[in-house]
Amino acid sequence: MKPLIPLLALLLGGLFVPATATADYRLTADSKPQSGVPKGTVTQHRWEKSQIYPGTVRDYWIYVPAQYDASKPACLMVFQDGRGYVNEKGHSRVPTVFDNLIHKKEMPVTIGVFINPGTIPAVRPGGKSRSNRSFEYDSLGSRYANFLIDEFLPAVTKDLNLVDDPQARGIVGISSSGICAFTAAWERPDYFSKVISYIGSFTNIRGGHVYPALIRKTESKPIRVFLQDGENDLDNLHGHWPLANRQMAAALKFAKYDYRFEMGDGGHSGQHGGTLLPEMLRWLWRDYPAVKKETVNQGNVNQGNVK
Amino acid sequence: MSCGKHCLPVLLISSFLAMSQPLAAQDMPLTQVLIDGEDWQSVSKGHRFTDGLTTDAEGNLYFADVAAGTTINRIGLDGKLTAVADEAPRISGMHFGPDGRIYACQGGSFGRIVAFDLKAGKMEVIAENVKPNDLVVTSDGHIYFTETAKMQVSHIPPGGNVQAADVASKTDGPQRPNGIALTPDQGTLAVSDYGGRYTWVWRVAEDGSLDVRQSYITLRTPSPDFPSKGDGMTTDAVGRYYVTSAVGLQMFDPTGRMGGVIAPPTNKPIVSVAFAGPGHQYLYVAAGDEIFRRKTKTSGIEAVRAKQQ
Repeated sequence: MKPLIPLLALLLGGLFVPATATADYRLTADSKPQSGVPKGTVTQHRWEKSQIYPGTVRDYWIYVPAQYDASKPACLMVFQDGRGYVNEKGHSRVPTVFDNLIHKKEMPVTIGVFINPGTIPAVRPGGKSRSNRSFEYDSLGSRYANFLIDEFLPAVTKDLNLVDDPQARGIVGISSSGICAFTAAWERPDYFSKVISYIGSFTNIRGGHVYPALIRKTESKPIRVFLQDGENDLDNLHGHWPLANRQMAAALKFAKYDYRFEMGDGGHSGQHGGTLLPEMLRWLWRDYPAVKKETVNQGNVNQGNVK
Repeated sequence: MSCGKHCLPVLLISSFLAMSQPLAAQDMPLTQVLIDGEDWQSVSKGHRFTDGLTTDAEGNLYFADVAAGTTINRIGLDGKLTAVADEAPRISGMHFGPDGRIYACQGGSFGRIVAFDLKAGKMEVIAENVKPNDLVVTSDGHIYFTETAKMQVSHIPPGGNVQAADVASKTDGPQRPNGIALTPDQGTLAVSDYGGRYTWVWRVAEDGSLDVRQSYITLRTPSPDFPSKGDGMTTDAVGRYYVTSAVGLQMFDPTGRMGGVIAPPTNKPIVSVAFAGPGHQYLYVAAGDEIFRRKTKTSGIEAVRAKQQ
């Protein structure tokens, strides 16, 4: 049995490291295939003709729900770091969650677009591909939003019938793509009105720590935000994720945004966010399509625990 | 799911697996580079304006004195200062080529790229009628240099003529291209902007041409309306970028995220940086009349190439 002792020590030792708290977060039936629920289709594609991010290539996936009827316009949600969200064994299993919630009419018929960050393939022999993820996701400003709105989404959804209304569009991300999702809606609230951020990097990777200050001193924008983070998230050179997310929540509260904030006890992983996704979607889509203008900033506001 | 104590390890393992999915590139704080207790040490002083730091495969440091010097100086691994070339005025950037010669930018009224064969004591003019500031040479002999006033990155293929690899406009690209460096794989070229906020990168093609320019790296500036004064550049063996600037020596990880700002040795501006010394493990900077170095936990890309050769 001797060889097992280090393994046991590792496992038992693991009991006392905070990160294992995420073991408490389990996917519910909403995130698992259910009999009698029609399954949508997922197709994989590659985008390699960006003008806004020249030279980049990236994979993307399109989910079309079984209930989609080309004669009726559907809603749209765009997931950054898409591979992790579309993965049927991943943290969120979005296609299954959409199947279940659309079937129960807890969210509208919604197309899912899952997009990876770009990489710039090396062309010199022996060269390494360069990651464009931080440049695209962590940078403030409208470049990424414009990439989605002006370039990518019109092309990849051209054969789909979509509602042309910001209330019908959401954007989602995790970590750097969490702040990216917020940035896209912040820059283009005329296009995106719903934001989900898991463990969002509202820290100083490329200046994103300024959002709480900007939110407090900017006329409120018509966007609805669900933030998730964990007490044991990162504390590194870029900043302190739990403090940064608390600052975000406090700023959204101060500026009377329609937001929710869930602080768990997990680390830098999608596990807690993934288990919350069905609840996030129900909350974001709760009144669609009868989203009242006055509820956008005054309705179900100021939820969550801002210490 | 209901289970007894016996399935706890399974849960733990699955949570470890979930945690192990990397969401971000590895973070690279300054503590990965700097060594506690190691500070800048003066290694040569009494010059006028030092610049053009570079190194050879052994780790000897070479530098020029732009203002006064007519020499190229070497600080050997033994710490001794030697003049290795004379009649070499106005040198602002240097880099060894694969042929063992030092390629150099010669500014002022010279306006040319030259190559010094130190063993033979000969100098060859490689290109004339240029306004070079700093340069880098690939292991297969492509020369890239900045022409600051022309807002241009220029390229000389092996045995070929000077061509504009990229020219910035007033609204896009480096306004005052200055420092220049290659990643360890030589697939990405980076250029600092003395007059702007960014260090720009390009992809290097097999024929040496550059494409897909990007403002990949954002520098810290002393104030919002002040440029970075990005000047001399180098990279290390893991692909971190180092840029001398108005606020110190700025370090960035290979994905362009700032790792931190290393304090300059004195209040004089630092304008050039290189890894040299034993194992290329020392950062050297030119700070006006003086050269400083400090030991690090990393090493320069010259060390990578030295292993390849």
